[in-house]
Amino acid sequence: MMKNTYSRRSVMVGAAASAAVLTAAPLRAQDPTVHEVHIRAFSFDPDKVQVKVGDTIRWINHDLAPHTATADEFGWDTEEISKGEFGEVIVTKDMETSYFCVFHPHMKGTIEIL
Amino acid sequence: MKKLISALAVTLAMTGAQANAQDIAAMNDLEYAHIAYTADNIDIRYAHLALALSTNPDIHDFANTMIRDHTAVNEAALGLLDKLGASAQDNAFSQTLNANAEKIIAGFVELRGAEFDAAYAANELAYHQAVNDLVENTMIPNIDNAEVKALFEQGLEIFKAHEGHAEMMVKALK
Repeated sequence: MMKNTYSRRSVMVGAAASAAVLTAAPLRAQDPTVHEVHIRAFSFDPDKVQVKVGDTIRWINHDLAPHTATADEFGWDTEEISKGEFGEVIVTKDMETSYFCVFHPHMKGTIEIL
Repeated sequence: MKKLISALAVTLAMTGAQANAQDIAAMNDLEYAHIAYTADNIDIRYAHLALALSTNPDIHDFANTMIRDHTAVNEAALGLLDKLGASAQDNAFSQTLNANAEKIIAGFVELRGAEFDAAYAANELAYHQAVNDLVENTMIPNIDNAEVKALFEQGLEIFKAHEGHAEMMVKALK
């Protein structure tokens, strides 16, 4: 579980690193993917993500209110994500696939592991 | 006693907002900022009272969310005022909100257990309904500054989520 500040700089650094990797070796089909879920207006967008084991799910909070992405049975948790920050979870084989925001329980999302 | 306190809370929340709607419509952005800041702080006070007096984990979760969210809104409001080089202006409606809150808190401290939980939940629902109606229909349409208006719109989004959460809490406690 990670929590980071989401900034233009981190995106640019990430983009530069990706470009370097692409130059050095062709992207393999099994390379992990980062799936972004945007939290806006008290909703997860998209509210359902399709992922593979080893992928990363990144929740980015655009709301003024802090949020979390937390498994329904609390098996995993991003912890508090403030406005402008993001939290990440790496997909594992047996992870819970239904989640919600602990602070605002009406906010719900699902994960489909392919 | 429980019904009496709940009724008092609802009455104070509703009359405070409705009786002053016309006066509020004529106020300026800085007076609106003061009202919003005051309303946020009142709900934070209620939440701290709930943490002290309730033993219900759901009430504690809700109260902590009120503290967290209203603090975030107030910090954003202070940041915007600072950026604009302005200060919130005290006004008659902010004072009415504070006076009503004192009466509601005086009633709350007499309650314990399930009676307190039901009264707190009912007040949270009534309070958010009243404030949301005021923000959406009276304040936002009359705000001049675009950044202030955007902040109020974000605040309203949060307070509507709280209203829905409070509604579920009221039903669950019946």
